[in-house]
Amino acid sequence: MLDIDLLKSEKKSLIRFLLIYLGSTFLLFSVAAWIFYTSQKHYLIDQQREALKYQAQTITQELRTLHTTYDKSTLIYPVHPLIDSAIYDLDKQYIFGTQKETNLLDEKYYMADENILYSLSQVEPYYMGAAYLLVSKNLDKEPILELQKNIGLFLLGAGVFFTILGWFLGRLFIAPMRDSMERMNLFIQDTTHELNTPISTILTNIEMLETFGKCEENKELKRIEIASKSLSRIYDDLTYLNLNHNYYRHIESLDMSDLLRERMVYFSTMAEHKGLILEISIDTDIVLEIDKNDATRLVDNLVTNAIKYNKPKGLLKVNLTKAFLSVGDTGIGIQKKDLDSIVCRFKRANKSEGGFGIGLDIVNQVVNSYGFVLNINSEPDKGTEVVVKWTK
Amino acid sequence: MDKIILLYFLLYAGLYAQESQGEKQQLENQCLQCHMKHQIPNELIYQRYLMKYSTADGMGKAIKEYLKHPKKENSIMPLPFFLKFPMKEALVLDDENLEKNIRMFLDMYDVKKKLVLP
Repeated sequence: MLDIDLLKSEKKSLIRFLLIYLGSTFLLFSVAAWIFYTSQKHYLIDQQREALKYQAQTITQELRTLHTTYDKSTLIYPVHPLIDSAIYDLDKQYIFGTQKETNLLDEKYYMADENILYSLSQVEPYYMGAAYLLVSKNLDKEPILELQKNIGLFLLGAGVFFTILGWFLGRLFIAPMRDSMERMNLFIQDTTHELNTPISTILTNIEMLETFGKCEENKELKRIEIASKSLSRIYDDLTYLNLNHNYYRHIESLDMSDLLRERMVYFSTMAEHKGLILEISIDTDIVLEIDKNDATRLVDNLVTNAIKYNKPKGLLKVNLTKAFLSVGDTGIGIQKKDLDSIVCRFKRANKSEGGFGIGLDIVNQVVNSYGFVLNINSEPDKGTEVVVKWTK
Repeated sequence: MDKIILLYFLLYAGLYAQESQGEKQQLENQCLQCHMKHQIPNELIYQRYLMKYSTADGMGKAIKEYLKHPKKENSIMPLPFFLKFPMKEALVLDDENLEKNIRMFLDMYDVKKKLVLP
Protein backbone atom coordinates (compact mmCIF):
# COMPACT_ATOMS: atom_id res chain seq x y z
CA MET A 1 0.00 0.00 0.00
CA LEU A 2 2.80 2.35 0.95
CA ASP A 3 4.68 1.50 -2.23
CA ILE A 4 1.63 2.34 -4.33
CA ASP A 5 1.20 5.69 -2.54
CA LEU A 6 4.86 6.47 -3.03
CA LEU A 7 4.64 5.87 -6.75
CA LYS A 8 1.42 7.83 -7.06
CA SER A 9 2.70 10.89 -5.22
CA GLU A 10 6.00 10.66 -7.07
CA LYS A 11 4.26 10.53 -10.45
CA LYS A 12 1.93 13.35 -9.51
CA SER A 13 4.82 15.60 -8.45
CA LEU A 14 6.81 14.68 -11.55
CA ILE A 15 3.88 15.38 -13.89
CA ARG A 16 3.16 18.71 -12.17
CA PHE A 17 6.78 19.73 -12.40
CA LEU A 18 7.00 18.69 -16.05
CA LEU A 19 3.80 20.54 -16.93
CA ILE A 20 4.97 23.77 -15.34
CA TYR A 21 8.52 23.44 -16.61
CA LEU A 22 7.62 22.44 -20.17
CA GLY A 23 4.68 24.84 -20.33
CA SER A 24 6.76 27.85 -19.34
CA THR A 25 9.65 26.74 -21.55
CA PHE A 26 7.32 26.22 -24.52
CA LEU A 27 5.69 29.61 -23.95
CA LEU A 28 9.06 31.34 -23.76
CA PHE A 29 10.38 29.57 -26.84
CA SER A 30 7.18 30.23 -28.79
CA VAL A 31 7.37 33.96 -28.10
CA ALA A 32 11.08 34.03 -28.97
CA ALA A 33 10.49 31.95 -32.12
CA TRP A 34 7.61 34.21 -33.19
CA ILE A 35 9.69 37.36 -32.72
CA PHE A 36 12.59 35.76 -34.59
CA TYR A 37 10.29 34.52 -37.37
CA THR A 38 8.64 37.91 -37.82
CA SER A 39 11.94 39.77 -37.97
CA GLN A 40 13.50 37.21 -40.32
CA LYS A 41 10.43 37.20 -42.56
CA HIS A 42 10.56 40.99 -42.84
CA TYR A 43 14.25 40.78 -43.53
CA LEU A 44 13.72 38.22 -46.32
CA ILE A 45 10.89 40.29 -47.86
CA ASP A 46 12.98 43.45 -47.59
CA GLN A 47 15.79 41.66 -49.41
CA GLN A 48 13.43 40.78 -52.26
CA ARG A 49 12.01 44.33 -52.27
CA GLU A 50 15.53 45.75 -52.52
CA ALA A 51 16.22 43.42 -55.46
CA LEU A 52 13.00 44.67 -57.06
CA LYS A 53 14.08 48.29 -56.59
CA TYR A 54 17.33 47.44 -58.28
CA GLN A 55 15.35 45.94 -61.18
CA ALA A 56 13.32 49.16 -61.35
CA GLN A 57 16.54 51.15 -61.70
CA THR A 58 17.62 48.84 -64.52
CA ILE A 59 14.30 49.35 -66.32
CA THR A 60 14.65 53.14 -65.89
CA GLN A 61 18.05 52.97 -67.55
CA GLU A 62 16.57 50.90 -70.37
CA LEU A 63 13.75 53.45 -70.80
CA ARG A 64 16.40 56.15 -71.07
CA THR A 65 18.18 54.19 -73.80
CA LEU A 66 14.86 53.57 -75.54
CA HIS A 67 14.04 57.27 -75.37
CA THR A 68 17.16 58.14 -77.36
CA THR A 69 15.99 55.89 -80.22
CA TYR A 70 12.63 57.60 -80.52
CA ASP A 71 13.03 58.13 -84.26
CA LYS A 72 12.44 54.42 -84.89
CA SER A 73 8.98 53.41 -86.04
CA THR A 74 8.51 50.92 -83.17
CA LEU A 75 10.06 50.90 -79.74
CA ILE A 76 10.47 47.61 -77.90
CA TYR A 77 9.47 47.92 -74.26
CA PRO A 78 12.06 46.41 -71.82
CA VAL A 79 10.85 43.10 -70.48
CA HIS A 80 12.40 41.03 -67.67
CA PRO A 81 11.48 37.47 -66.76
CA LEU A 82 9.39 37.06 -63.59
CA ILE A 83 8.94 40.82 -63.35
CA ASP A 84 6.00 42.90 -64.48
CA SER A 85 6.30 46.64 -65.03
CA ALA A 86 4.28 49.56 -66.30
CA ILE A 87 4.94 53.23 -66.90
CA TYR A 88 2.55 56.05 -65.97
CA ASP A 89 2.58 59.72 -66.99
CA LEU A 90 2.61 62.74 -64.70
CA ASP A 91 -1.19 62.54 -64.31
CA LYS A 92 -0.79 58.89 -63.22
CA GLN A 93 -2.38 57.72 -66.45
CA TYR A 94 -1.26 54.35 -67.81
CA ILE A 95 1.15 54.57 -70.79
CA PHE A 96 2.39 51.06 -71.43
CA GLY A 97 3.76 47.94 -69.73
CA THR A 98 3.62 44.22 -69.19
CA GLN A 99 1.48 44.82 -66.15
CA LYS A 100 -2.22 45.50 -66.43
CA GLU A 101 -3.42 49.02 -65.68
CA THR A 102 -3.66 49.88 -61.98
CA ASN A 103 -4.99 52.93 -60.22
CA LEU A 104 -1.80 54.41 -58.79
CA LEU A 105 -3.77 56.67 -56.46
CA ASP A 106 -5.04 53.62 -54.60
CA GLU A 107 -1.73 52.27 -53.39
CA LYS A 108 -3.23 50.48 -50.41
CA TYR A 109 -5.39 48.38 -52.68
CA TYR A 110 -2.68 46.90 -54.83
CA MET A 111 -0.03 46.86 -52.08
CA ALA A 112 -2.43 44.84 -49.89
CA ASP A 113 -1.78 41.63 -51.79
CA GLU A 114 0.82 39.87 -49.63
CA ASN A 115 1.75 37.48 -52.42
CA ILE A 116 2.99 40.20 -54.78
CA LEU A 117 5.74 42.71 -54.13
CA TYR A 118 5.38 46.20 -55.62
CA SER A 119 7.82 49.01 -56.08
CA LEU A 120 6.65 52.41 -57.23
CA SER A 121 9.40 54.80 -58.24
CA GLN A 122 9.43 58.24 -59.79
CA VAL A 123 11.23 58.76 -63.09
CA GLU A 124 12.81 62.07 -63.96
CA PRO A 125 13.35 63.31 -66.63
CA TYR A 126 10.27 61.65 -68.08
CA TYR A 127 11.87 59.12 -70.43
CA MET A 128 9.19 57.83 -72.78
CA GLY A 129 6.83 60.18 -70.92
CA ALA A 130 7.07 58.05 -67.82
CA ALA A 131 6.83 59.95 -64.54
CA TYR A 132 6.14 56.79 -62.54
CA LEU A 133 7.41 53.26 -62.89
CA LEU A 134 5.49 50.50 -61.16
CA VAL A 135 7.34 47.20 -60.89
CA SER A 136 5.96 44.00 -59.39
CA LYS A 137 6.89 40.38 -58.93
CA ASN A 138 5.46 37.38 -57.16
CA LEU A 139 6.84 36.98 -53.66
CA ASP A 140 9.35 34.11 -53.56
CA LYS A 141 7.98 32.10 -50.66
CA GLU A 142 10.68 29.45 -50.74
CA PRO A 143 13.00 31.16 -48.20
CA ILE A 144 10.04 31.92 -45.90
CA LEU A 145 8.88 28.30 -46.03
CA GLU A 146 12.47 27.23 -45.37
CA LEU A 147 12.55 29.59 -42.37
CA GLN A 148 9.25 28.18 -41.08
CA LYS A 149 10.59 24.65 -41.50
CA ASN A 150 13.82 25.48 -39.66
CA ILE A 151 12.01 27.18 -36.79
CA GLY A 152 9.59 24.26 -36.59
CA LEU A 153 12.46 21.78 -36.46
CA PHE A 154 14.24 23.89 -33.86
CA LEU A 155 11.12 24.02 -31.68
CA LEU A 156 10.64 20.28 -32.07
CA GLY A 157 14.29 19.60 -31.19
CA ALA A 158 14.15 22.00 -28.25
CA GLY A 159 10.89 20.39 -27.12
CA VAL A 160 12.42 16.91 -27.16
CA PHE A 161 15.61 18.15 -25.47
CA PHE A 162 13.77 20.04 -22.72
CA THR A 163 11.35 17.17 -22.18
CA ILE A 164 14.26 14.78 -21.61
CA LEU A 165 16.07 17.37 -19.50
CA GLY A 166 12.89 18.06 -17.52
CA TRP A 167 12.38 14.36 -16.96
CA PHE A 168 15.89 13.92 -15.55
CA LEU A 169 15.69 17.14 -13.51
CA GLY A 170 12.34 16.08 -12.13
CA ARG A 171 13.72 12.68 -11.14
CA LEU A 172 16.71 14.43 -9.58
CA PHE A 173 14.52 16.82 -7.58
CA ILE A 174 12.20 14.17 -6.25
CA ALA A 175 15.04 11.75 -5.44
CA PRO A 176 15.49 13.10 -1.84
CA MET A 177 11.74 12.92 -1.32
CA ARG A 178 11.72 9.37 -2.63
CA ASP A 179 14.63 8.41 -0.36
CA SER A 180 12.86 9.89 2.66
CA MET A 181 9.66 8.06 1.84
CA GLU A 182 11.54 4.81 1.27
CA ARG A 183 13.35 5.21 4.57
CA MET A 184 10.09 5.97 6.33
CA ASN A 185 8.55 2.94 4.69
CA LEU A 186 11.40 0.72 5.86
CA PHE A 187 11.33 2.27 9.34
CA ILE A 188 7.65 1.52 9.74
CA GLN A 189 8.20 -2.04 8.52
CA ASP A 190 11.12 -2.47 10.94
CA THR A 191 9.21 -0.94 13.84
CA THR A 192 6.22 -3.24 13.38
CA HIS A 193 8.57 -6.20 13.18
CA GLU A 194 10.66 -5.12 16.16
CA LEU A 195 7.59 -4.55 18.30
CA ASN A 196 5.88 -7.71 17.12
CA THR A 197 8.64 -10.08 18.28
CA PRO A 198 8.75 -9.14 22.02
CA ILE A 199 5.00 -8.61 22.20
CA SER A 200 4.40 -12.07 20.71
CA THR A 201 6.91 -13.53 23.17
CA ILE A 202 5.17 -11.88 26.11
CA LEU A 203 1.70 -12.95 24.99
CA THR A 204 2.75 -16.53 24.22
CA ASN A 205 4.51 -16.97 27.56
CA ILE A 206 1.61 -15.46 29.52
CA GLU A 207 -0.69 -17.91 27.72
CA MET A 208 1.64 -20.77 28.64
CA LEU A 209 1.62 -19.67 32.30
CA GLU A 210 -2.16 -19.55 32.25
CA THR A 211 -2.37 -22.98 30.62
CA PHE A 212 0.24 -24.88 32.62
CA GLY A 213 0.00 -23.02 35.91
CA LYS A 214 3.31 -23.01 37.76
CA CYS A 215 4.96 -25.38 35.35
CA GLU A 216 8.40 -24.07 34.35
CA GLU A 217 7.24 -20.59 35.37
CA ASN A 218 10.80 -19.41 35.91
CA LYS A 219 11.65 -19.96 32.23
CA GLU A 220 8.50 -18.23 30.98
CA LEU A 221 9.01 -15.29 33.31
CA LYS A 222 12.56 -14.87 32.07
CA ARG A 223 11.34 -14.80 28.48
CA ILE A 224 8.73 -12.20 29.43
CA GLU A 225 11.44 -10.20 31.19
CA ILE A 226 13.72 -10.28 28.14
CA ALA A 227 10.90 -9.29 25.80
CA SER A 228 9.79 -6.47 28.11
CA LYS A 229 13.35 -5.18 28.34
CA SER A 230 13.62 -5.28 24.55
CA LEU A 231 10.43 -3.23 24.29
CA SER A 232 11.67 -0.82 26.90
CA ARG A 233 14.97 -0.39 25.06
CA ILE A 234 13.19 0.21 21.75
CA TYR A 235 11.04 2.86 23.42
CA ASP A 236 14.10 4.49 25.03
CA ASP A 237 16.04 4.52 21.78
CA LEU A 238 13.17 5.95 19.73
CA THR A 239 12.47 8.58 22.39
CA TYR A 240 16.13 9.49 22.47
CA LEU A 241 16.26 9.89 18.67
CA ASN A 242 13.00 11.80 18.57
CA LEU A 243 13.83 14.22 21.42
CA ASN A 244 17.55 14.46 20.80
CA HIS A 245 17.49 18.04 19.56
CA ASN A 246 15.28 19.41 22.33
CA TYR A 247 16.52 17.19 25.12
CA TYR A 248 17.85 18.93 28.20
CA ARG A 249 21.04 17.24 29.39
CA HIS A 250 21.77 17.15 33.07
CA ILE A 251 25.53 16.88 33.15
CA GLU A 252 26.75 15.32 36.38
CA SER A 253 29.72 13.38 37.73
CA LEU A 254 28.57 9.91 36.92
CA ASP A 255 30.19 6.77 38.16
CA MET A 256 30.46 4.80 34.96
CA SER A 257 31.65 1.70 36.83
CA ASP A 258 28.40 1.52 38.79
CA LEU A 259 26.32 2.27 35.73
CA LEU A 260 28.02 -0.41 33.65
CA ARG A 261 27.65 -3.01 36.39
CA GLU A 262 23.99 -2.15 36.76
CA ARG A 263 23.37 -2.41 32.98
CA MET A 264 25.25 -5.71 32.77
CA VAL A 265 22.93 -7.12 35.43
CA TYR A 266 20.02 -5.71 33.46
CA PHE A 267 21.13 -7.48 30.27
CA SER A 268 22.38 -10.65 31.98
CA THR A 269 19.10 -12.45 31.34
CA MET A 270 19.41 -11.77 27.60
CA ALA A 271 23.04 -12.88 27.56
CA GLU A 272 22.28 -16.03 29.54
CA HIS A 273 19.37 -16.82 27.26
CA LYS A 274 21.80 -16.83 24.30
CA GLY A 275 24.34 -18.85 26.32
CA LEU A 276 27.04 -16.19 26.08
CA ILE A 277 30.20 -16.35 28.12
CA LEU A 278 30.75 -13.00 29.82
CA GLU A 279 34.23 -11.62 30.34
CA ILE A 280 33.73 -8.40 32.25
CA SER A 281 36.52 -6.19 33.53
CA ILE A 282 35.39 -2.95 35.17
CA ASP A 283 37.85 -0.69 36.92
CA THR A 284 36.41 1.00 39.96
CA ASP A 285 35.61 4.68 40.36
CA ILE A 286 35.60 5.64 36.74
CA VAL A 287 33.79 8.95 36.84
CA LEU A 288 32.72 10.96 33.79
CA GLU A 289 31.02 14.33 33.41
CA ILE A 290 28.02 13.09 31.46
CA ASP A 291 24.23 13.00 31.38
CA LYS A 292 22.99 9.72 32.81
CA ASN A 293 20.55 9.03 30.00
CA ASP A 294 23.30 9.61 27.39
CA ALA A 295 25.61 7.23 29.25
CA THR A 296 22.87 4.63 29.56
CA ARG A 297 22.07 4.81 25.81
CA LEU A 298 25.77 4.48 24.99
CA VAL A 299 26.26 1.41 27.16
CA ASP A 300 22.90 -0.20 26.31
CA ASN A 301 23.36 0.03 22.57
CA LEU A 302 26.91 -1.29 22.66
CA VAL A 303 25.97 -4.20 24.89
CA THR A 304 22.71 -5.13 23.12
CA ASN A 305 24.47 -5.01 19.74
CA ALA A 306 27.16 -7.34 21.10
CA ILE A 307 24.48 -9.71 22.42
CA LYS A 308 22.25 -9.52 19.35
CA TYR A 309 25.00 -10.05 16.76
CA ASN A 310 26.96 -12.60 18.79
CA LYS A 311 26.98 -16.26 17.98
CA PRO A 312 25.10 -18.55 20.45
CA LYS A 313 27.47 -19.49 23.27
CA GLY A 314 29.89 -16.88 22.02
CA LEU A 315 32.08 -14.57 24.06
CA LEU A 316 30.99 -11.13 25.28
CA LYS A 317 33.88 -8.99 26.48
CA VAL A 318 33.27 -5.76 28.33
CA ASN A 319 36.18 -3.69 29.56
CA LEU A 320 36.02 -0.32 31.31
CA THR A 321 39.14 1.59 32.21
CA LYS A 322 40.03 5.24 32.84
CA ALA A 323 40.89 5.56 29.18
CA PHE A 324 38.13 3.70 27.40
CA LEU A 325 35.15 1.42 27.30
CA SER A 326 35.33 -1.53 24.96
CA VAL A 327 32.63 -4.05 24.11
CA GLY A 328 33.60 -7.03 21.99
CA ASP A 329 31.75 -10.02 20.62
CA THR A 330 32.54 -13.11 18.62
CA GLY A 331 29.69 -12.65 16.23
CA ILE A 332 29.12 -12.16 12.54
CA GLY A 333 31.37 -9.11 12.22
CA ILE A 334 31.08 -6.25 9.76
CA GLN A 335 32.29 -6.14 6.15
CA LYS A 336 35.21 -3.74 5.60
CA LYS A 337 33.29 -1.70 3.05
CA ASP A 338 30.51 -1.06 5.60
CA LEU A 339 32.77 0.09 8.45
CA ASP A 340 32.72 3.78 7.44
CA SER A 341 28.97 4.00 7.06
CA ILE A 342 27.91 1.70 9.87
CA VAL A 343 27.32 4.63 12.24
CA CYS A 344 24.80 6.26 9.86
CA ARG A 345 21.16 6.19 10.85
CA PHE A 346 19.14 3.24 9.49
CA LYS A 347 22.32 1.53 8.32
CA ARG A 348 22.40 -2.17 9.06
CA ALA A 349 25.38 -4.28 8.02
CA ASN A 350 23.38 -7.44 8.50
CA LYS A 351 19.63 -7.62 8.26
CA SER A 352 19.24 -11.16 9.61
CA GLU A 353 18.91 -9.94 13.20
CA GLY A 354 16.28 -7.28 12.64
CA GLY A 355 16.56 -3.86 14.30
CA PHE A 356 16.30 -0.30 13.03
CA GLY A 357 19.91 0.44 12.35
CA ILE A 358 19.83 3.24 14.94
CA GLY A 359 21.99 1.70 17.68
CA LEU A 360 25.39 2.83 16.49
CA ASP A 361 23.88 6.13 15.29
CA ILE A 362 22.91 6.85 18.92
CA VAL A 363 26.35 5.75 20.12
CA ASN A 364 27.95 8.06 17.55
CA GLN A 365 25.76 10.98 18.62
CA VAL A 366 26.73 10.55 22.28
CA VAL A 367 30.39 10.19 21.33
CA ASN A 368 30.28 13.36 19.23
CA SER A 369 28.38 15.29 21.91
CA TYR A 370 31.09 14.66 24.52
CA GLY A 371 34.15 14.72 22.30
CA PHE A 372 34.86 11.00 22.74
CA VAL A 373 36.49 8.91 20.03
CA LEU A 374 34.81 5.87 18.51
CA ASN A 375 36.81 3.01 17.02
CA ILE A 376 35.26 -0.07 15.47
CA ASN A 377 37.47 -3.07 14.75
CA SER A 378 35.78 -5.92 13.03
CA GLU A 379 36.43 -9.02 11.01
CA PRO A 380 33.62 -10.87 9.28
CA ASP A 381 32.68 -14.13 11.03
CA LYS A 382 35.20 -13.46 13.81
CA GLY A 383 33.71 -10.62 15.74
CA THR A 384 33.56 -6.94 16.46
CA GLU A 385 35.11 -4.74 19.06
CA VAL A 386 33.78 -1.25 19.64
CA VAL A 387 36.02 1.06 21.64
CA VAL A 388 35.00 4.42 23.03
CA LYS A 389 37.94 6.48 24.23
CA TRP A 390 37.04 9.14 26.76
CA THR A 391 39.64 11.62 25.61
CA LYS A 392 41.26 12.41 22.27
CA MET B 1 -30.88 46.92 -97.48
CA ASP B 2 -27.48 45.43 -96.81
CA LYS B 3 -26.13 47.02 -99.96
CA ILE B 4 -27.43 50.44 -98.90
CA ILE B 5 -25.73 50.14 -95.48
CA LEU B 6 -22.48 48.99 -97.08
CA LEU B 7 -22.63 51.85 -99.61
CA TYR B 8 -23.32 54.34 -96.81
CA PHE B 9 -20.41 52.96 -94.78
CA LEU B 10 -17.98 53.13 -97.69
CA LEU B 11 -19.09 56.66 -98.54
CA TYR B 12 -18.64 57.75 -94.89
CA ALA B 13 -15.22 56.05 -94.63
CA GLY B 14 -14.10 57.66 -97.86
CA LEU B 15 -15.26 61.10 -96.74
CA TYR B 16 -13.57 60.65 -93.32
CA ALA B 17 -10.33 59.54 -94.95
CA GLN B 18 -10.44 62.48 -97.27
CA GLU B 19 -11.09 64.86 -94.37
CA SER B 20 -8.29 63.31 -92.31
CA GLN B 21 -5.92 63.50 -95.24
CA GLY B 22 -6.86 67.13 -95.63
CA GLU B 23 -6.14 67.91 -91.97
CA LYS B 24 -2.79 66.16 -92.22
CA GLN B 25 -1.96 68.17 -95.29
CA GLN B 26 -2.92 71.34 -93.41
CA LEU B 27 -0.58 70.35 -90.52
CA GLU B 28 2.29 69.77 -92.87
CA ASN B 29 1.72 73.05 -94.70
CA GLN B 30 1.18 75.19 -91.65
CA CYS B 31 3.59 73.63 -89.18
CA LEU B 32 5.94 70.92 -90.26
CA GLN B 33 7.04 72.39 -93.58
CA CYS B 34 9.48 74.67 -91.86
CA HIS B 35 10.98 71.74 -89.87
CA MET B 36 11.50 69.74 -93.05
CA LYS B 37 13.07 72.72 -94.69
CA HIS B 38 15.61 73.08 -91.89
CA GLN B 39 15.99 69.28 -91.59
CA ILE B 40 14.84 69.20 -87.99
CA PRO B 41 13.30 65.75 -87.26
CA ASN B 42 9.78 66.03 -85.90
CA GLU B 43 10.44 62.98 -83.66
CA LEU B 44 13.21 64.96 -81.99
CA ILE B 45 10.80 67.80 -81.17
CA TYR B 46 8.18 65.37 -79.81
CA GLN B 47 10.84 63.44 -77.87
CA ARG B 48 12.06 66.59 -76.15
CA TYR B 49 8.53 67.75 -75.25
CA LEU B 50 7.68 64.25 -74.01
CA MET B 51 10.76 64.10 -71.80
CA LYS B 52 9.95 67.47 -70.25
CA TYR B 53 6.14 67.46 -69.91
CA SER B 54 5.17 63.74 -69.88
CA THR B 55 1.43 64.27 -70.60
CA ALA B 56 -0.32 65.24 -73.85
CA ASP B 57 -2.03 68.15 -72.11
CA GLY B 58 1.24 69.50 -70.79
CA MET B 59 2.95 69.16 -74.14
CA GLY B 60 -0.02 70.73 -75.97
CA LYS B 61 -0.06 73.80 -73.72
CA ALA B 62 3.70 74.27 -73.98
CA ILE B 63 3.68 73.94 -77.80
CA LYS B 64 0.79 76.37 -78.13
CA GLU B 65 2.48 78.90 -75.87
CA TYR B 66 5.71 78.68 -77.84
CA LEU B 67 4.03 78.88 -81.24
CA LYS B 68 2.07 81.98 -80.24
CA HIS B 69 4.91 83.68 -78.39
CA PRO B 70 8.18 82.14 -79.57
CA LYS B 71 11.01 82.94 -77.19
CA LYS B 72 14.22 81.25 -76.13
CA GLU B 73 12.78 80.89 -72.63
CA ASN B 74 9.73 78.89 -73.64
CA SER B 75 11.39 76.95 -76.44
CA ILE B 76 12.02 73.23 -75.97
CA MET B 77 15.33 73.52 -77.81
CA PRO B 78 18.56 74.28 -75.96
CA LEU B 79 20.05 77.75 -76.17
CA PRO B 80 22.95 76.76 -78.50
CA PHE B 81 20.30 75.73 -81.01
CA PHE B 82 19.51 79.41 -81.62
CA LEU B 83 23.09 80.14 -82.53
CA LYS B 84 22.53 78.09 -85.63
CA PHE B 85 18.86 78.63 -86.26
CA PRO B 86 16.95 81.90 -86.10
CA MET B 87 14.01 82.33 -83.71
CA LYS B 88 10.82 81.54 -85.60
CA GLU B 89 8.10 84.08 -85.98
CA ALA B 90 4.81 83.79 -84.15
CA LEU B 91 2.37 81.57 -85.96
CA VAL B 92 -0.62 83.42 -87.33
CA LEU B 93 -3.37 80.89 -86.87
CA ASP B 94 -6.62 80.99 -84.96
CA ASP B 95 -6.71 79.07 -81.67
CA GLU B 96 -9.09 76.42 -82.95
CA ASN B 97 -6.93 75.47 -85.93
CA LEU B 98 -3.76 75.75 -83.88
CA GLU B 99 -5.07 73.40 -81.21
CA LYS B 100 -6.33 70.98 -83.88
CA ASN B 101 -2.88 70.94 -85.50
CA ILE B 102 -1.15 70.45 -82.15
CA ARG B 103 -3.47 67.54 -81.27
CA MET B 104 -2.74 65.97 -84.67
CA PHE B 105 1.00 66.41 -84.18
CA LEU B 106 0.89 64.80 -80.75
CA ASP B 107 -1.28 62.00 -82.04
CA MET B 108 1.02 61.36 -85.01
CA TYR B 109 4.07 60.71 -82.77
CA ASP B 110 2.18 59.39 -79.72
CA VAL B 111 4.46 57.22 -77.58
CA LYS B 112 1.67 54.71 -76.90
CA LYS B 113 1.46 53.94 -80.62
CA LYS B 114 5.15 53.27 -80.92
CA LEU B 115 5.67 51.01 -77.93
CA VAL B 116 5.41 47.27 -78.46
CA LEU B 117 6.24 44.17 -76.45
CA PRO B 118 9.03 41.96 -77.73
